[in-house]
Amino acid sequence: MPDRQQRAPWTWLLAGAILAVHASAWAAVVFEAQSPYHHILVIDDRGRRVLSFDGTQETRMSLQDPLQGHFGYTELFHYAWLWNTNLSRVLMLGLGGGSSQRSFLHRYPQVRVQSVEIDPIVVQVATNFFQVRISDRHRVQVEDGRVFLRRTRETYDLILLDAYVKHRYGSQIPQHLATREFFELARDRLSTNGVLAYNVITVSRLGGRDAAPALARTLLSVFPQVYTFQAQDSLNAVLIATRSARRLSNAELVQRGIQLATSGLNAPPGLWQRVGSYRTSPPAGTQQALVLTDDFAPVESLDRRSR
Amino acid sequence: MQTAMAMVLAFTGGFVVMVLEMVGMRLLARDFGSSFYVWTSQIGIVLVALTLGYLLGGLVADRTHRPRWLGVGLVLAAAFTGGIPKFSASVTHYLVSRHAADQEIPLLWQKLDPALGAMLVFLPPCLILAMLPPCLIRWAASRVEHVGRISGFIYGAGSLGSIAGVFVSGYILIDVLPLPAIFRGTALVMVGMAAVCLGWNPEPQRRLSATNA
Repeated sequence: MPDRQQRAPWTWLLAGAILAVHASAWAAVVFEAQSPYHHILVIDDRGRRVLSFDGTQETRMSLQDPLQGHFGYTELFHYAWLWNTNLSRVLMLGLGGGSSQRSFLHRYPQVRVQSVEIDPIVVQVATNFFQVRISDRHRVQVEDGRVFLRRTRETYDLILLDAYVKHRYGSQIPQHLATREFFELARDRLSTNGVLAYNVITVSRLGGRDAAPALARTLLSVFPQVYTFQAQDSLNAVLIATRSARRLSNAELVQRGIQLATSGLNAPPGLWQRVGSYRTSPPAGTQQALVLTDDFAPVESLDRRSR
Repeated sequence: MQTAMAMVLAFTGGFVVMVLEMVGMRLLARDFGSSFYVWTSQIGIVLVALTLGYLLGGLVADRTHRPRWLGVGLVLAAAFTGGIPKFSASVTHYLVSRHAADQEIPLLWQKLDPALGAMLVFLPPCLILAMLPPCLIRWAASRVEHVGRISGFIYGAGSLGSIAGVFVSGYILIDVLPLPAIFRGTALVMVGMAAVCLGWNPEPQRRLSATNA
């Protein structure tokens, strides 16, 4: 769930006015439903299919090539390979329009994906409109992510979390998916070299800060190492937490990227070449941030708290 | 004076019920997640507790003119509430883990489990708190001609307390206090309410026949 960079208000006004005039000519609503969680729209807009929850773009997909047109940040999840070159069992909490599911299943034949999605209508939308296939390699369960983790006996090589809720009043993490206890559940379901990848939205509003440091700090209370990959085209960042205690330097990560690039792994183009461009240290302010726990996770007020 | 005291009790009771409902949601989310059914259950079960409490409270009000009984009930409810952070996990764990792992929980239980959890953890204290208003009306109305006005005051104070409870817990408590502290604080408030009930000796009510005579 991406967050675009802030622009001057007048550009938005202008863009809004132009959109209002032309929207009917460009965009067609293909599907609309009110689920218990969201007002869901599927819109076709100039060759691109968009999934919108409550007016916020959740997923984008090219109609010509479903493996294109996605939000850039979703590619950051693929950096999990840097820590585990034998990924095969992948758990994805949150389905949405299934960008990551499509990409992982298409690119890596050795990978099996278990998706967990809380909203049954989203599962229908993903399969009917976003080319998400349910198969032996891709199982989908309708359940809350935490409930699933608590009950499953499987172990996974990668757990991927994309459960941020973003709307016009700001972005918000589901509190029960952001606490130390939740990350302990996740760690216990990871294999020895297992990796957890967590999408967060970093907000650079003047004076305000965001949940990323608190999440990084909370992850660090459970996992020995946390790496940050800040998206270049949006405010999203993917935090990667590893069970491996050794900190890899950026030079080592670049080295591993080079090895992966020649390994025949069909990762998104250019991914390994960009490894060196990230500052992977935890977000600024992580040391001072609050560890979120089941007992105390004021996710709604993190902005104010970290000021 | 009696009316004022009854209104304070009604306000506090309404406040506490809503704190339990709102903050309780966070507790339920640990094991049941935050699916729509969890909110549905919590709201529904608190309303069940209120309904039963009003019914029972009405019966009690007609039978005894001694707030002492309700004071004892409130002490028990306070002890229960103070213990919620300790025992709620075992209740919700039990409910979740009776389903086979690695299998989707049947839809019926996805809906009913959170309701059962809410029932076992939040129904008892809310029920006792809901017994207050009918009793308060009876105790505060020393003259039958004033029953209308006094029940209006009690309803109003109770609802105002509920409103305050919703906003104070949603906007403030959850942001500044850990959940166990909120439950313990709520229990303390209930002990205070119990003390008021235990020490209250309402004026005997004059009967309609007596006023006519």
